[in-house]
Amino acid sequence: MALFGSSTSAAAGTASTTAGGKSQQLKQEIENQISQELAVANATELVSKITENCFEKCITQPSNILNGQEDQCINQCLEKYMRSWNVISKAYITRIQQQSAQDK
Amino acid sequence: MSSISASALQNLDESSRKDIMQFIEAEQSKSKVQMSIHNFTDMCFKKCNANRPITNGNLSSSEEQCLTNCLNRFLDTNIKVVQALQGQQ
Repeated sequence: MALFGSSTSAAAGTASTTAGGKSQQLKQEIENQISQELAVANATELVSKITENCFEKCITQPSNILNGQEDQCINQCLEKYMRSWNVISKAYITRIQQQSAQDK
Repeated sequence: MSSISASALQNLDESSRKDIMQFIEAEQSKSKVQMSIHNFTDMCFKKCNANRPITNGNLSSSEEQCLTNCLNRFLDTNIKVVQALQGQQ
């Protein structure tokens, strides 16, 4: 999913047995792990924000079960939230680019 | 995901260390931007859906406009506040 923006590129070349090659390989491992952890943090944050917002929107009167209407609302809310995330993301990046063009 | 052993880290050469530091810095700034987007989405989703129920999963063009406006006006507000505090109005 593009949303989680992993920036890992494919490991380059074949691993050689020289010290330089080992370093290269280890570096790749470290970088992959960092990207992975940040992607997890990003996904966790998204899940928590969606849960908060959609709980607020959809569960107005908590009953003993999640009823069909609430279930549908949660699905729609989730979809709407992700779309909103993408809109905000695009708008924010556009704004950052405008700002940095102005500052130059 | 396997964890990386401490002894293996000592075998890293100088240029790899430098690369990793640069990588971390880049990932950090990416992460900052992402966290801001999370906060803005949270705020603007609330604002643009206030007082009305969710009836579908799509974004209408007016909803999209609301979100974009919400973000831009928030950032304008932020700039105004900073300028006012700097006494440069």
